Amino acid sequence: MNLAWAFFKRDAVTALSYRVAFLAQLFGNIAGMGVFYFIAKTVGPQQLPALAGQGGNLFAFLMVGIVLSDCVGISLSTFALQVREGQFTGTLEATLISPVGLPVMMIYSSLWSYFFCFIRFVLYLTLGSVLFNVSLRNANLPVAILIFFLTVICFMGIGILWASVVLIIKRGDAVMNAAGYLFLLLGGVLFPVSVMPRWLQTIAWFVPLKHALEAMRLALLRGYSFQALLPQLGLLSAFAAVLLMAGLITFSATVRAAKHNGTLSQS
Amino acid sequence: MLRLKQHGPPNSASHARVTIPALAVECVSKRFSTRSLLGFGGKTAETQALSDVSFAVEEGEMVGLLGPNGAGKTTLLRIVSSLLYPDSGQVRIAGHDVFAGGRRRLGLITCDERSFYWRLSGLQNLEFFAALFGIPRARARRKISDLLDALGLTYAAGRPYQSYSSGMKQKLAIVRGLMSDPDLILYDEPTRSLDPLSTQNIREWIRMNRRQSPRQTHVLATNQLREAEQLCDRVIIINHGRLIALGTIEEIRKTWKGGDFVVYVIEVSGTLPARRLTPDPVEGLLAVESAPGGEESLVRIRSTADGRGLSRMLSVLLSTGLSIKRCEREEASFDEVFCSLVSAENPVEVEAAP
Repeated sequence: MNLAWAFFKRDAVTALSYRVAFLAQLFGNIAGMGVFYFIAKTVGPQQLPALAGQGGNLFAFLMVGIVLSDCVGISLSTFALQVREGQFTGTLEATLISPVGLPVMMIYSSLWSYFFCFIRFVLYLTLGSVLFNVSLRNANLPVAILIFFLTVICFMGIGILWASVVLIIKRGDAVMNAAGYLFLLLGGVLFPVSVMPRWLQTIAWFVPLKHALEAMRLALLRGYSFQALLPQLGLLSAFAAVLLMAGLITFSATVRAAKHNGTLSQS
Repeated sequence: MLRLKQHGPPNSASHARVTIPALAVECVSKRFSTRSLLGFGGKTAETQALSDVSFAVEEGEMVGLLGPNGAGKTTLLRIVSSLLYPDSGQVRIAGHDVFAGGRRRLGLITCDERSFYWRLSGLQNLEFFAALFGIPRARARRKISDLLDALGLTYAAGRPYQSYSSGMKQKLAIVRGLMSDPDLILYDEPTRSLDPLSTQNIREWIRMNRRQSPRQTHVLATNQLREAEQLCDRVIIINHGRLIALGTIEEIRKTWKGGDFVVYVIEVSGTLPARRLTPDPVEGLLAVESAPGGEESLVRIRSTADGRGLSRMLSVLLSTGLSIKRCEREEASFDEVFCSLVSAENPVEVEAAP
């Protein structure tokens, strides 16, 4: 607990010391929500057939997409940024000589980011409900929170996998942007996956964000129960276990390779 | 190789009683491959960073790691601190493989000012690293407080690290390296880029700390020979990745046969014939420095090891009517020995001292 708190405190103090950036991160998506609100208003209040299975309301659909995909961005950036900054500054080596295992170090170094991500998740759902009249009266919040955490673990694995790549290729910004758009496309963030061609839908099935979003929309907008969402929750759990394991194993292997090649602190 | 008073590995036959050295580096080699930056041409160059390096450091010793830039000091230090795998060989700290738990016993003090978190205070940084090393919170607080106090940094503990001067950052690095009470402390150029006063303070503190914790073992990588002379019991000199000398500075200096020159100081009575005191490499006289005085003057020459240069200078002085009052071979400074050793094409072979 002492160690987890040490990582959390380190990252929280650092984040809060950049006050403007912190506030921008906290409230930055409000404008984005406004944009989607007016797009939805332009389309009109009618129920869209493509969204019928997921609540029917375009803005509510988009809002859940934006709120949950936030943790995709966090995952892709947090671990890679920690690795790159650590390589640049020498803090990576300073931490690697400690007796703490790599898996623990990687997971703990994301605690603040995911905590902040959860705060934003709650904040934006509240704002959506209060400012943009999204009805969450039927929402099954405990299941929504469970889905949120399973999504976090899935993308933690992907984020650590991505950090392994960054440890080798050093500059991964362009690839990260491409990956972000790929998740946007295949995850069903802005439109339902069902409107895509069959072959793209097949590929999308392997993207955990698709299942997470579907489950989250059903839990928040239609109030599905734990039992009703069991297939999606099971699938997400499987994704989470496999991806987290793959991420940690790959990262350990990459660090070992970097220790062989002498590239651990190269910038 | 210049190897003096060998402190051999634990299985050395010369040891009547088997002792486990605080640090044992056994046949460590490392080669780096550099790939082409343009295109995908594969491996383009290979550098042998370390070749079969072996030495042992006994408990309580402070050993200097010397060598010119690019000699392999940093590579060796990174291997000893478990940040780099060797291609072959082993590193043991108190008998434990450094890559299998031995690293728990070491503290690394680097000169890298950026290896801390700049937005955190000095104290917050130390608390974070204390947690990483598994030091219980109460003990960490006590230890940090004691060390900050000893290094005179308590007043700045709450300030952001980014506001620290270079000397303060270095002191904080020392606190971090020592707060886990390591058995082995590795210093990577601890006084680089410090002003003379801070340098002196840090060296003084290291000396005092050694007196207070005599069981701790220290390895000091430095480019400053004076620092090694002041602090270290023994030194290791490496060049081109090979260990070329190992012993106390005094032993290395005395046993070193001078390579290709010898320095003599000649005291004469009378006025020096300045125009005739010029080097004559053909006659073995490599360099001449003179200090004319009133009735007595000094001449310092660098002669070839066969003494031809000395004979040449003595005959010049005698032929001008001067009388020789004193002629002594000057012991080479450690700087001269070091430069000679590392600039030699082939390492100088010297018999070990008894």
